[in-house]
Amino acid sequence: MAMSDLEVRDLTRVFASGDTPRRAVDGVSFTASSGLLTGFVGGNGAGKTTTMRMIMGVLAITSGEVRFGGAPVTRRDRREFGYMPEERGLYPKQPVLEQLVYLARLRGIDAPVARREVLEHLDRLGLAGRAKDHVEKLSLGNQQRVQIVAAIMGQPKALVLDEPFSGLDPAAVDAMADLLREHTRRGVPVLFSSHQLDLVERLCERLVILGGGKVLADGTPDDLRATGVTRHRLILSGDAGFVRGVPGVLAVDVDGSSALVEVHDDAAATRLLSAALQRGAVQEFSPVRPTLAQIYREVTA
Amino acid sequence: MRNAWMLVATREVVVRALNKGFLIGLAVNIVLIGGLIGFSAFMDGRTESFDVAVVAGDDAAAAAVEAAGQEAAASDQEIELSPVRVDDAAAAEAALEDETADAWLSSGADGATWSLSGWREPDADLAELVETTVRDQVMADRATDHGTTMEALTAGTEIETERLDGNPVDPQIVFMAGFVLAFLFFMGTVGSGAMIAGSVIEEKQSRLVEIIATAVPLRQLLAGKIIGSSVIALAQNVLLVVVGLIGASFTDLSAVLPAMTATMVWFVVFFTVGFVAVAALYAVAGSLASRTEDLQYTTSPLMMLLMGVYIVTFSADGVFERVLSYIPPASIVSMPVRVLNGDTLWWEPLVSLLILVAATFGAVLLSERAYRGALMQTGGRVTWRSALTSDRGTTLGA
Repeated sequence: MAMSDLEVRDLTRVFASGDTPRRAVDGVSFTASSGLLTGFVGGNGAGKTTTMRMIMGVLAITSGEVRFGGAPVTRRDRREFGYMPEERGLYPKQPVLEQLVYLARLRGIDAPVARREVLEHLDRLGLAGRAKDHVEKLSLGNQQRVQIVAAIMGQPKALVLDEPFSGLDPAAVDAMADLLREHTRRGVPVLFSSHQLDLVERLCERLVILGGGKVLADGTPDDLRATGVTRHRLILSGDAGFVRGVPGVLAVDVDGSSALVEVHDDAAATRLLSAALQRGAVQEFSPVRPTLAQIYREVTA
Repeated sequence: MRNAWMLVATREVVVRALNKGFLIGLAVNIVLIGGLIGFSAFMDGRTESFDVAVVAGDDAAAAAVEAAGQEAAASDQEIELSPVRVDDAAAAEAALEDETADAWLSSGADGATWSLSGWREPDADLAELVETTVRDQVMADRATDHGTTMEALTAGTEIETERLDGNPVDPQIVFMAGFVLAFLFFMGTVGSGAMIAGSVIEEKQSRLVEIIATAVPLRQLLAGKIIGSSVIALAQNVLLVVVGLIGASFTDLSAVLPAMTATMVWFVVFFTVGFVAVAALYAVAGSLASRTEDLQYTTSPLMMLLMGVYIVTFSADGVFERVLSYIPPASIVSMPVRVLNGDTLWWEPLVSLLILVAATFGAVLLSERAYRGALMQTGGRVTWRSALTSDRGTTLGA
């Protein structure tokens, strides 16, 4: 256990809505390790935002605990976490620089230091010229950038970011990813939620898939891919339609002489190949590595 | 962080003080008060002069005009009369039409009635003055005819008025002061209350409050907001009161100014304490909403309460007023008005103030809990009951 791992144990949140209590988060446990980007994936209503709000203490925990650096998280710890809530917004009618400095000062950073740091971040994100503009005058993408500055000011001990990439163009996504990497390099755990699976696959060292309030899968992208059912691509000289009849073989997709199949065991593979060879030449039989999207569909199915 | 509330309060004050709508509203109010006082002072101090036409040979009318002029001068009526001699009735009418005369007085010498004519309806003050003078003159003539005198006829008919409580302040002025205080209370609380509710929902709706709450205890955030908006509300009312008092010193009200000033000081003290409670409740109203549009619903009970205080206090008197002067928030208006009226014992405002302080304390404690409970509940309006059910809220409160 590294000094600044962010750990969630058996976290549960029950919302009392009318007569039927709803378990929005149900016994969720995982670790966002220090120095790693941990992606938090799940559909709408999976419990991502509720979990993150509980990690930040914004929402009371029904049961379970949040630990930081091996001990229960404290108010003081949370004060030094960078947080980006689900819905975006700052004071619309206040200038960018002014409100970022205000937020920094609330976190105990001295005004001159805060000012210098904010200007530096704005400069890096290409917003140096907009420091005196009102937030409402910025485009949504730029408002998002301002919001991320609010989270990363003052060298936070951990970053908890709800959908930080939504609404950003590809160049901005890369810039944002670089920024987050800088913080993981400092040894800080970064937990961010997203529904863009390709992005998560590309960026994250760790992945937690949430569904119906429970952790469905947890590990490195490679780990997760290894647990998935490997599919095979079969390309023949003739028609591939027969694969549907082979026992132990599931035809995922058949298109002319090409088929994507799942084989349950080695015996089934042998059966499939010999059946194919009886019909003509086999041009290709190769494993297809599952994408995260595929794994996601499997675990959330 | 100990002084976070100061940062929050400073921001509230600065943002509010730079808000165009707020500044324009304040300027309009000052201009309104100044204008009203200026207008009444102008009306009070203005001497109206009338040219009254009298037909040659109508001696009774000429005498009446002269007597009326003297009467006006003697009784400080600020009306000047100058007779205009004309040859005949036609000339008088012509004078009225071309405005060389404002009115034409003709006597009822040969049994006709006295008449005061103008091209349009003659000025009411002039008519009253002339009517009194003519009546006195006619009655004096008749008294002479009957071998007696006016003095003999009217002797012993005067009524002297006397006020036994020793308070120099005219009840009319007390009523006006009650109206003004009720108005200041209503304007101050509703205006600043709406602003604090707006500032709370702005942070809740944008989830900015979630960022702030991780940095600063919510109690401090609320305290900063209440203090910030109280400072603004108070400054606004002090400004309006000072403008009003300075203005009043230029008018006939200057005689009762010392009594009025004491009342205003009481009002400012009561208002300061009471507004803290109102601000806290408005902060809750803001936190119960989930979008700015909800504010209309969540603030309406408060609005009703304040409107009720406004309507009830400025019209209350007697025992009812005495009772109101101890019940917050009505006491904020009623007690200072009673002080002006001079019917309070020295300890009465102090006791009422203590009750107000206690009520404010209770309201703030309750509000603090509800605010914390409601602030993080998203999706739809929150009820007071659910706001006070603590487990739904946040752990970042204290």
